[in-house]
Amino acid sequence: MHLYLPVALTSINIFIPVGLGLAVGLLSGLFGVGGGFLMTPLLIMFGIPSTVAAATDSNQIVAASTSGTYAHWKVGNVDFKMGFHLLIGGFIGGLVGVQGIKVLNAMGNADFVIKMTYVLMLGIVGTYMFIESLSSLKKKNVTQETSPKKESGFSKLLQTLPLQTEYVKSGVTHSMLLPIIFGGVVGILAAVMGVGGGFLMVPVMVYILRMPMHVVVGTSLFQILFNCIEVTFLQAYTNHNVDFILAVLLLLGSTVGAQVGAVFGRKLKGEQLKIILAVIVLVVTVKIVFELTLSPSLLLSQAGGH
Amino acid sequence: MKTVNSEQSSVIRLRQRIVTPITILIILIVSIGIASAQLTAKANHDHIKIDFFYHGSTVSVSGVTDPGTDLIIKIASPEGHEKLKQKGKVGGILWMNTGTLNFEHVPNLYSVHSTKNIEELLAPKELDTYVIGLPALSRHVGLNPSAGEEEKARWFGEFVKYKEASKLYASSSGRIEIKEKDGRHTYYINTEWPYQAPPGDYLVTVYAVKNGKVVDTAESKVLVEQVGIVKSLSGMAKNNAALYGIISIVSALGAGFGVGLVFRKGGGAH
Repeated sequence: MHLYLPVALTSINIFIPVGLGLAVGLLSGLFGVGGGFLMTPLLIMFGIPSTVAAATDSNQIVAASTSGTYAHWKVGNVDFKMGFHLLIGGFIGGLVGVQGIKVLNAMGNADFVIKMTYVLMLGIVGTYMFIESLSSLKKKNVTQETSPKKESGFSKLLQTLPLQTEYVKSGVTHSMLLPIIFGGVVGILAAVMGVGGGFLMVPVMVYILRMPMHVVVGTSLFQILFNCIEVTFLQAYTNHNVDFILAVLLLLGSTVGAQVGAVFGRKLKGEQLKIILAVIVLVVTVKIVFELTLSPSLLLSQAGGH
Repeated sequence: MKTVNSEQSSVIRLRQRIVTPITILIILIVSIGIASAQLTAKANHDHIKIDFFYHGSTVSVSGVTDPGTDLIIKIASPEGHEKLKQKGKVGGILWMNTGTLNFEHVPNLYSVHSTKNIEELLAPKELDTYVIGLPALSRHVGLNPSAGEEEKARWFGEFVKYKEASKLYASSSGRIEIKEKDGRHTYYINTEWPYQAPPGDYLVTVYAVKNGKVVDTAESKVLVEQVGIVKSLSGMAKNNAALYGIISIVSALGAGFGVGLVFRKGGGAH
């Protein structure tokens, strides 16, 4: 059955967006990512104009992350205080990032810089997470003991920062500047690269903020929710690119997928979640590298947006 | 423009219009040289309504023609401007967007159907005059930033590929059926109307060709319009953007919470 999409100005078989929503929602509930890095290119592949795809996806993520945050909150896996501090940083970072794009565009060749940064970021983050979670999985299997936490120079330095505060849900104590600063860095990168940044925020929370993986997932969804509300409004208000019908079809799948993902995620260990996410990030990296090197079938595409 | 003068044909055309009005939704004939022309054109669907379940349509063009003439049918949207991102190789190996190209005087939808290959029917100069066929269109369009002839031809080729991918550009030859009945020659072609074609006015032009010259033309219009929910939603997205954005967000929040509640009640989580 086909439905006509009033803003995308195209017709789509309804099983496509519902199915895509289900799959990406599942990833969202499992790993705490928005999934824009998968959803947007898939929607473009199915004939949705690129600008509408990105804007509508953010609308859909509002629903999926609400569903996912709710599911994780029920079992106490959302650190609202941490989420709030990350949001402050993310908001400031977003504003800086938008200016950054203007500077890059003025310099010329912005696309090259952005694409390269994106590929490098994905590659480094994916590889690091993969190696780290693989080695900690092995360690646990061999010694069956939790290794005492090593105090690195970096973490000692962090403890000297002012405004130390306890994040009860995450079981960590940090300066509140830390989530604000790193939220800001992710916000800048996300704005420049035109992605939600979940795949960067999750590693930041795991490796820098030292939060337990299950709380990371819930908290990440919480802050993605707010980011996507803002992005959806701006896209609808300034660019008129949100397709309500497409968003509804996507969220029919994604809200259910997020619930299933959250339930399924509880059955997995933190390391297992990390290693699967690392593999997904690496697969996406390889896909982008192929896209960059293989001759495209079309050399022209719709202008506007990323 | 030369026209074939025949009083008899006018009578036949008149009779056809009186006899078959029920089978035709609306006939719109704007023949050039109405008093004398033999050639007529009508589109069976001259008002395509885009509703919620729209998935493209078909448009058939038919009319009366003169025996011994060939026909070229051009369906096009008004000419406009298209801004597209251009991909190119950077550093010899990486494909990425290298800039934007502006195509001027290009129709968004353009299809040409003919009884024979158009190059056999008309000389390039004639084709250029009426902008019939892709080579003629290629010479007609402007490219900005401007490029040399070779570069322009290459990018126009890419432009056509881009349009063909969404079925907006098409061509065929030999698909027009010509029938003779009671001494009257009629032509008919059924074409797919792509759902990718946006709302707007489209012009169907039929050219009668004899001895390498266009001897007659006839036109008909196709109006594509959004109706119902589709029209109200796309109107709201443009004209009431803030409210549209808020409704989109609130619906998404509501759906997310709703599904969360259903799952709790359904005992999916513990």
